[in-house]
Amino acid sequence: MTSAAPAAGGLRYPCRVIPFPATRRSVIERIRGADTEVRRTAFGDLAAGYWRPSYHYLRLHWRLTPEAAEDVVQAFFTVAFEKGYVERYDPSKAKFRTFLRTCLDRFVQNTQKAERAEKRGGGVDRLSLDFPGAEQALAELAASDLRDLDRFFRNEMIRALFERAVDDLRRTCEESGKTALFRVFERHDLAPSPDVSYATLARDLDLTVSQVTNYLHGARRRFRELALGHLQSLCGTDEEFRLEARELFGMEVDP
Amino acid sequence: MTWLSNDLVERLRDVASRPELASDRYVILRPIGRGGMGSVYAARDEQLGREVAIKVSNAAAAADDLDQRLRQEARVLARLEHPGIVPVHDAGLLDDGRWFYVMKLVRGETLADHAASLEHEAARLVVFERVAETVAFAHAAGIVHRDLKPSNVMVGQFGEVLVLDWGVARVLARANRESGAGARGHDRHPDDPIDGTSGGTRMGTAGFMAPEQAHGDSSNAGPPADVYALGALLFWMWTGSAAPADLSDVSRSLGAVSPAPSKRLSAIIRKCLSHAPADRYASAAELMEDLARYRQGSSVSAHRETTIERAGRWLVRYQTFVWLVLAYLVMRVAFAFLR
Repeated sequence: MTSAAPAAGGLRYPCRVIPFPATRRSVIERIRGADTEVRRTAFGDLAAGYWRPSYHYLRLHWRLTPEAAEDVVQAFFTVAFEKGYVERYDPSKAKFRTFLRTCLDRFVQNTQKAERAEKRGGGVDRLSLDFPGAEQALAELAASDLRDLDRFFRNEMIRALFERAVDDLRRTCEESGKTALFRVFERHDLAPSPDVSYATLARDLDLTVSQVTNYLHGARRRFRELALGHLQSLCGTDEEFRLEARELFGMEVDP
Repeated sequence: MTWLSNDLVERLRDVASRPELASDRYVILRPIGRGGMGSVYAARDEQLGREVAIKVSNAAAAADDLDQRLRQEARVLARLEHPGIVPVHDAGLLDDGRWFYVMKLVRGETLADHAASLEHEAARLVVFERVAETVAFAHAAGIVHRDLKPSNVMVGQFGEVLVLDWGVARVLARANRESGAGARGHDRHPDDPIDGTSGGTRMGTAGFMAPEQAHGDSSNAGPPADVYALGALLFWMWTGSAAPADLSDVSRSLGAVSPAPSKRLSAIIRKCLSHAPADRYASAAELMEDLARYRQGSSVSAHRETTIERAGRWLVRYQTFVWLVLAYLVMRVAFAFLR
């Protein structure tokens, strides 16, 4: 899957290590814009952030087969783009992800009624999405509480968001030759056991304790920036982004 | 694509939310709490080998209003050395330029959680008087808290009572400190923290903030505003609910609880909750004096007694003497009969 380049909007932290990308408009503004390329990129951001939560939602809540869920996801994002579903979003009525989930529900109902899922999915350009990977992840989600669907969808959105941020962090570290930074992050924050000490890491990775501390700080900061960048592309408005960022990281952002 | 388990998602969320301290002296251990202005973390002071609490502003950027308020809070706390106020050990800037300060890590529970264990009037008044004493100390130093409420009072493991969250405190100008008035003056000390509020700003918590604060006049809230909040705190300790705006509702609510506070204590609460600042106690110290008189069984300024009430109170207060006199009289009568 190709993800759009992360761009967090206008956080005013005077970040010393990695400068923050310039402010960008909310995803709805970009989708409603006249420039087709900007619309397409904004939609790409949305699809990248929401396809997996949507797939898991369809598999667990709607109990669709893997093939049917895949077809619906493909068709939903394509049709939503073509028919301008997202442009009808009204921020005064609901959060953007709730609106999107409602659209997905309606789409599934309509598709099931018309029994056209396969036809729709087959007739459009298919997005390059890792459905086998998403299917493997279902095992852990099987025990999820589906009574609160909005919460489930949000948790899945956050999981997908963090996964993209981790992947981007790995890629940018590799591209910039800072593999040690990612290795420290991976060993300390992504390890199954959280109890590895800085001294052990320093010994294992042939670094000083001070380097481990600095690398970990740098990696966490970059991870947060990447996650916030993706989050902004998934929120309907700047205000929603501000609230989501506060809830997610306990910090105020200034979109 | 990386797959993250639920545990890993939570861990990443936790570590990415932690403040980045420029020095290695403090190691963040865990989040403790989050308020509107700042978040508090337990941390380890590597130099002194002890656990401390670190408060970080939730501001979007350095020099943000929230950041300035946190700075002000640190300076207010540093000025107020009192057993009822958490001592500040250190302050500084985060990597991103925002303020943080380090304070004693208080172990205990908030009054909101602790109140259920205070069954008797005496136990409630002990805790309340410690709060009032701390606020009186602040008033004497020219500082008004402006956000007193049960969740801003901490009761420690050994019964110590601490007043927290001085983030919206106001430093009075000197002329006003001496007069106890709430109006703005012009001779603020050069070292005074900035007020940080202007006319029309509403600060405080509904049900505990004085009417003048509720009407958006926080910048003119003086000691009587804290007196109102103290009255609301007393009301809450008896009823478990925030104080109603109407004084007749206050009386009705106090009369409905069991056991109901005495008439004199109810009068003290009502006086604190008066709508007009001038009708309340002028400061927490004045409230303390009336409470002390109440506990000694003397008359209180908040309540005009009838002759019968005064006689009843006199009998209760001097009951030992009254019993001795009665016993003496009974004995005299008995001796007279025996002769």
